[in-house]
Amino acid sequence: MQYSQKVLDHFMHPKNVGKMENPDATATEGSPACGDQVTVYLKVDPEKMVIDDISFLSYGCASNIATASMITELAKGKSLDEAKKISWRDAMEALDGLPPVKVHCSVLAADTLQTAISNYEIAHGLKEVPNFSKETIVEELKKIIYPKVGEDIVTLKMVKYVGFTHGEVLIDLNIPSFDQWRDNVAEEIREHLQKYPEVKDIQINFPE
Amino acid sequence: MKPGQVYMDNCVSSKPAPEVLQAMQSYWEEEFWYPSSFVSTGEKIAGDIEGFRATIASALKVKANEVQFTSGGTMANNIAIKGILTANAHKGTHVICSVVDYPDILTNAAFFEQSGFEVSYIGADSEGFVNLEELKQAIRPDTILFMTTIVNHVLGTIQPMEEIGKIIAAADHKIFLHADAGQAFGKIKLELEKWGIDTMSISAHKIHGPQGIGALYVKSGTKLGQLIHGVKRIDGLQTGGLNIALIAGFAKAVEIYFADFDANVAKLRELSDYLLASIEANITEVEINGPRGNWRAPHNVNVSIGYIEGEAITMMLDMQGITVATGSACASQGLQPNYILMAVGKNHVQSHGSMKFTLSIYNSKDEIDYVVKHLSDITIELRKRSPLYLATHR
Repeated sequence: MQYSQKVLDHFMHPKNVGKMENPDATATEGSPACGDQVTVYLKVDPEKMVIDDISFLSYGCASNIATASMITELAKGKSLDEAKKISWRDAMEALDGLPPVKVHCSVLAADTLQTAISNYEIAHGLKEVPNFSKETIVEELKKIIYPKVGEDIVTLKMVKYVGFTHGEVLIDLNIPSFDQWRDNVAEEIREHLQKYPEVKDIQINFPE
Repeated sequence: MKPGQVYMDNCVSSKPAPEVLQAMQSYWEEEFWYPSSFVSTGEKIAGDIEGFRATIASALKVKANEVQFTSGGTMANNIAIKGILTANAHKGTHVICSVVDYPDILTNAAFFEQSGFEVSYIGADSEGFVNLEELKQAIRPDTILFMTTIVNHVLGTIQPMEEIGKIIAAADHKIFLHADAGQAFGKIKLELEKWGIDTMSISAHKIHGPQGIGALYVKSGTKLGQLIHGVKRIDGLQTGGLNIALIAGFAKAVEIYFADFDANVAKLRELSDYLLASIEANITEVEINGPRGNWRAPHNVNVSIGYIEGEAITMMLDMQGITVATGSACASQGLQPNYILMAVGKNHVQSHGSMKFTLSIYNSKDEIDYVVKHLSDITIELRKRSPLYLATHR
């Protein structure tokens, strides 16, 4: 497992790192328990709706820091609509790839950028606070990376069923009991969904 | 800087001594024979092997016929644990170990749990010492084995083997005592008879011997079920071929290391004390994991550096040619925080920010100065990027 030279460059000499004074929007995702936490700060030109300035902080590994650095580079100078399309895949591609087991670390930075943009739009009356629904769960599941191959569990068709009734989330996953990553995936799903106040209970089922 | 120029991960594998490489040479080239009787080639090797066995037995202060060669510490652990349990399952099916044991012990425990045995996992305190009261309480009439790791591979904690031995011996029936001495051999004085050890594993490459060879001490009269069936070439427990050159290298490593045992241990202690003192003097908000003082193995320093993540630290040190280990989930194979640190009550940040330095007699104070300088710079740099640090420091 090796990091690319670009990952090492962005890790050792990250761009746009540091706390921003008086940002127009900010977001923090992840937690020390998950192993990484990222904060993204935005300055937005309110007329052009362009990201004038962006910076980040990261408590995380080399992959996490490098991806956060790359995400900020990709987003800087972009309109909010353009920046909304930036995903962890774009950052990973721009970094010449990541080892599969490290892909999950890259998701957090992209996620934090999207939350910061969303926070800006909500604060400026550009959009409503989104309602929590089954689609929210599916969107969260698209951020869960299966570490063995470095791809998300929805794309890999590992999610067989998603249900949401009266605060109870029900997810059926097609991951066999001998899979060494099964518990990691379940744990990460819980971490992603527990942050929503609408979620009271999470049940994850596997094949026998 | 070349990779591994400054190497401080000696608990995983240590650099072979030059004399060890020299001692192996003839067995790779001319003397590639296996032991046998009557023919001069086989007799020569048989005699050499007995000499190597005697060297290792002497270091352990045991009889030569109580030492069997194996292809490493993990093989020795498996032969002993599986051998004791299969030979004694008719007497009981209860086993005791602790939550801070080496993976060889814990994975064997899990295997036997699935095979119908019952395992009691005793806890450990915040410094990694196993709970002796729990051990006493866990002993049952059907307990047949207690397994322990003499020196903890993460924290360096030296278990109180004399007290453990007394508790096991005080039971009203025979309980076998198996010990993993992977991190203890060459680091502390092992008193096998006094501690009542029945079987114990050691490994060559932790004390500057070659990789791929170890040994199992089996106390005279201890019957082990046969784990590996096949032709007997060297010893009866790990049947089949073993590499004679590696055995020769193992014996040479033991010979030269134990000739200066006290001085080597004193050097390790001096270096690790110096490293810990330097870290504590130069880096703020650092805490030691495991005990201080004589109950800590002399080669181990493990600290948690607040607010930053260990894989990032390890990568930055690697760029400076420094090899160390971390308990961070991101650097682990299973993406989980270190189970030992979590078992002794550390939190995720303490585990993710833990750095383990394991020293050898080849390390120097100059190297330590180099490591601490870079570690200090890296800590400052990563804390500038850390939301956890900036949230609590202005």
